[in-house]
Amino acid sequence: MTLLTGETDVFSSAGTSKRCVVMFLAKREGGVSDIFGAKEQAAIAAVLDELKKEGWLLSIRSMFDPAANNQAAALDTGFTHSVDVAGVFEAPTISAAIEGTVRLERAGWARLFATEWLIGPREFAPVKGTGGEIERPWGFLALWEWNDAWSAATPEQRAEYDLECDIAFKGDLALDINIAGRHRLDWAHGWHHLGAWEAVSPEAIDQAITGHEDVADFIFTTSRHFMGRVRPLHELIAA
Amino acid sequence: MSESIWIHYSRPRPHWYRLTAEQQAEKKAGWALVEKASIDAGATRVGSYHVRGQHDFQTVDIWQFASPEAAFDHWARLTSAGYNELFAFSNNVGIALQEGHS
Repeated sequence: MTLLTGETDVFSSAGTSKRCVVMFLAKREGGVSDIFGAKEQAAIAAVLDELKKEGWLLSIRSMFDPAANNQAAALDTGFTHSVDVAGVFEAPTISAAIEGTVRLERAGWARLFATEWLIGPREFAPVKGTGGEIERPWGFLALWEWNDAWSAATPEQRAEYDLECDIAFKGDLALDINIAGRHRLDWAHGWHHLGAWEAVSPEAIDQAITGHEDVADFIFTTSRHFMGRVRPLHELIAA
Repeated sequence: MSESIWIHYSRPRPHWYRLTAEQQAEKKAGWALVEKASIDAGATRVGSYHVRGQHDFQTVDIWQFASPEAAFDHWARLTSAGYNELFAFSNNVGIALQEGHS
């Protein structure tokens, strides 16, 4: 795996699979009860079952605990974002990832949602926060790109920046946040990376991001963040 | 795996203009080697087009690859050669549909 930027204290590419993330940002079309119903819901559920049998992971949770893969899940984001549902799957390969999005769309997903799919291979392995196996009912998805300032920086400046960001990432873990590693999106999108988290509360996420501001994380990046309560996907796939 | 289209939008970052003509030529020569390796491996460069008038980006380059994996490999080699540090970009990938419209 080619890394866009190097490993740090917190993040390692050792032992990572060749899995490929399938992130989705889905906005309800609205007013589709005449073209989306029980038949389409069942068809989407059947495709999700097939994908699971083909080796897909269907939630952030399952990236930490494979036994959790019996329940596809996503973030309910409509309360504060321009998209209604955001989520993260992992496919066995890049090709499987893209083909899977087409299968889901054709099963009826495209009738319910206008969706942006973001696809790319895993770079860093998941890292568990403090707190052990507690409930983490909130999800957080961070997209970012390296900006012109990062692009113009020297290798020494970037190394110093990575060390400072690691302070913030260690702070995230100390807030009981689980970080599902890092994925690389830049080959097929304008965003360069995805970071997907599980957290105990929106307050924990807000405190964590304040920690990233304190170390000047955003001097070298432009980011977009999505936060939402994690819910079973079948509850969110309804007209 | 499916035959794939890869669409690459780009514009120079500000510090590209701070390089001398010789430095720019050297960088371009390195990236041309990456592109040649992709073509030698079976990719097709459809073309490079100017879109500055209707877009945040300056040019769009369109490639065909045997698979999305081959497109990823092409981009990974370009970034390893430092291309992304001198050009801002946005990329798309698409797989060919056997039966046309869904």
